[in-house]
Amino acid sequence: MLEGVSTTLAISIFSLFLGLGVGLPLSFVRAYAKGYGFLVEGFEKVFRGIPEIVLMLIFYWGVGLYFPFPFKSAFFTVIFVLGMRSAANQSQIFRGAIRGIGEEQMVAARSLGFSKLRSAVHVMIPQVFIFATPGLGSEYALLIKDSSYAFIIGVLDIMFTTNVIRKATSDAVTPYLVAAFLYILLTFPIATWLDTWGSRRKKKLGF
Amino acid sequence: MTEVVMECRHLWKTYQSRLTAVKDVSMLINEGDIKLVFGPSGSGKSTFLRCMAMLTPPDKGDVFLREECLTKSGVDLNKARARIGFVFQHIWLFRHLTAQGNVELALRRVLKLPKEEARKRALEALREVKVEEMANRYPAQLSGGQQQRVGIARALVRNPDIILLDEPTSALDPELTGEVIDTLRDLAKMGTTMLIVSHEMPFAREIADEMIFFDEGTIVETGSPEQFFTNPQSERAQKFMMRLIKRTRRE
Repeated sequence: MLEGVSTTLAISIFSLFLGLGVGLPLSFVRAYAKGYGFLVEGFEKVFRGIPEIVLMLIFYWGVGLYFPFPFKSAFFTVIFVLGMRSAANQSQIFRGAIRGIGEEQMVAARSLGFSKLRSAVHVMIPQVFIFATPGLGSEYALLIKDSSYAFIIGVLDIMFTTNVIRKATSDAVTPYLVAAFLYILLTFPIATWLDTWGSRRKKKLGF
Repeated sequence: MTEVVMECRHLWKTYQSRLTAVKDVSMLINEGDIKLVFGPSGSGKSTFLRCMAMLTPPDKGDVFLREECLTKSGVDLNKARARIGFVFQHIWLFRHLTAQGNVELALRRVLKLPKEEARKRALEALREVKVEEMANRYPAQLSGGQQQRVGIARALVRNPDIILLDEPTSALDPELTGEVIDTLRDLAKMGTTMLIVSHEMPFAREIADEMIFFDEGTIVETGSPEQFFTNPQSERAQKFMMRLIKRTRRE
């Protein structure tokens, strides 16, 4: 069971960071490179509109057929699919933050001699993170929950080990209750902490 | 011979809404000059100031900083902006950084000064505008007047060739404008070259070398503060001065 917990955690954290790495630049493209906005919009529509489970099956069984590396690994496929879905969500979270921070912070940075890119790095991104922390907490909780689809393609996560125990013990209730408890334990404290900490910091800095 | 710090020639700026904000404006600012631009709101003063700093590129005309033409293609505008200080009407401090962090940022990341030296210079600049003891506070923990003084320190700390100030007191409560004006008075004494958009008339009379009356995007009249206070030439300037002087008396 413990191995299942660490796999679930690993999937969620890796896909959160993959989502961050892809979603953050996308939000800036959508906000500042308006000509390419339609590409980001298309990406968001695909990954938010198709159920994760369908995407996992498509990538594992379909794309994996032509690209065994890296999609032959179920673990990688789950992280990839959840990471891209999370990127689509995070892109929207960060875009909201960019809008909330306001164009004026960018203008103020430009007035000091920063280029657009360096204004984004030194002035916008630190504020975007503060602004978006509560939203990222919810995103983390969502990833923990959605990682439970991973057992369908054979990843040894909480749900997979729960099923193994259920089959071995013929107890159809207790293993699922334990799994439910573990999911709450993994999501609730961290998501709540991120929400409280983020909201407090936002208030302190006058956002 | 006095050296020209900044100059613009036949500057034009029209917005997409077809509103012409700046119409054929030319101006020359010498080392140590303090020029004060005033005029009705919506007359294009802020746009003009932003065009001078190339924060809003003009449609036509040229801007020179020292001898460098900023409107020519291929000019590194980031480098040029690093030599211009800009103070905004609504201050726009970086909310995630302390007062010191705000002043230090460009020293560290634009001028690439070592950490210690940047810190020292930032504290010096904060001392100059008399908010040194607020160095570790975030903008949200400062009064409007203190925020604007940090804004001035942020513009001043890089030793820019010129400081452009866009109505630095108009977003502040009347009781807070005094402290910002004191700071500007100190800068004037130090010989800082400044182009200020402001309606603070007693202050203008005290420190401006030249006043420029702006209306409908263009310069209507230029003259000494004395000329504007005693004998403005154009009818529009006369009317506007009357209104401003009345308002100042009421306050």
